[in-house]
Amino acid sequence: MLLRAIVAPDDATVGDDLGLTTVSGAAVAALGSPWDKGRVAGEPDLLDHHRIIQSVFERVPCLPARFGSVFPDEDALHSRLVKREVDFASQLARLGHRCELAITCAWRDNGVSSPVSIVPASSGRAYLERGLQRSRGDREREVRAEAIAARLRTELATEPAFVRHRTCPRPAVAVSMSALVTRDEINGISSRLERVGAQLPDVTIVVQGPWAPYTFAVSK
Amino acid sequence: MTREPATLDVPLVELVDRLLNRGVVLTGELTISVAGVDLIYLGLSVVLSSVDTIRRAGAEV
Repeated sequence: MLLRAIVAPDDATVGDDLGLTTVSGAAVAALGSPWDKGRVAGEPDLLDHHRIIQSVFERVPCLPARFGSVFPDEDALHSRLVKREVDFASQLARLGHRCELAITCAWRDNGVSSPVSIVPASSGRAYLERGLQRSRGDREREVRAEAIAARLRTELATEPAFVRHRTCPRPAVAVSMSALVTRDEINGISSRLERVGAQLPDVTIVVQGPWAPYTFAVSK
Repeated sequence: MTREPATLDVPLVELVDRLLNRGVVLTGELTISVAGVDLIYLGLSVVLSSVDTIRRAGAEV
């Protein structure tokens, strides 16, 4: 049994509609799918996981499960669920009616504006200078990325707890941000981000979602 | 908000990062064996942000 999502007990019938197995507790219900023990996951399984969560999320509030929680059977899942259901019920009440927007600022130069030569350094001094150059470039990128993140946060104008971000998580990305929003806020936010994007010459903003609140559904 | 060649991989990587690193966890048996995650990693080719997850998975399996 592969865990897909957590929903309120009253919403558990959505599992029947989607062909999922429902394991009910007193305060929440878990939705899962059959999964053969020992089966190795691949890319299609990962994307299926997202599609199933989105199908649930489009119908009822839910907490998405991180990919990879497998249980031998429904009883094993139930025994785990009952230990955590108070926490999950609390999170559902807090997050369930909100969705996640993934806001990514990608460097327009793909993170290689100052490529470092692949030719071996001709001397120790050249090697050190090249490392210094790389380090300085990284710091400048980090500072710039933080400034962009601050600008986005201002535009989002939402509670700080509803926005999380990382700067320079990968060479091509300046900012990876998650915003917890209501559905009626999405159009306004998208318009504001589009306006900001036009004013930032060094990054391209990509907005994805609405998704289930992956980033804000946590296990304590 | 346009998509340019440099950003084409961004959407998938951002999604995969969330699928592997975020969301609630009920500690079950982790199904992503090192080999399995390697397959995912190679298949997507750019899942750089999930390297830590891969390492954790390897440590826990």
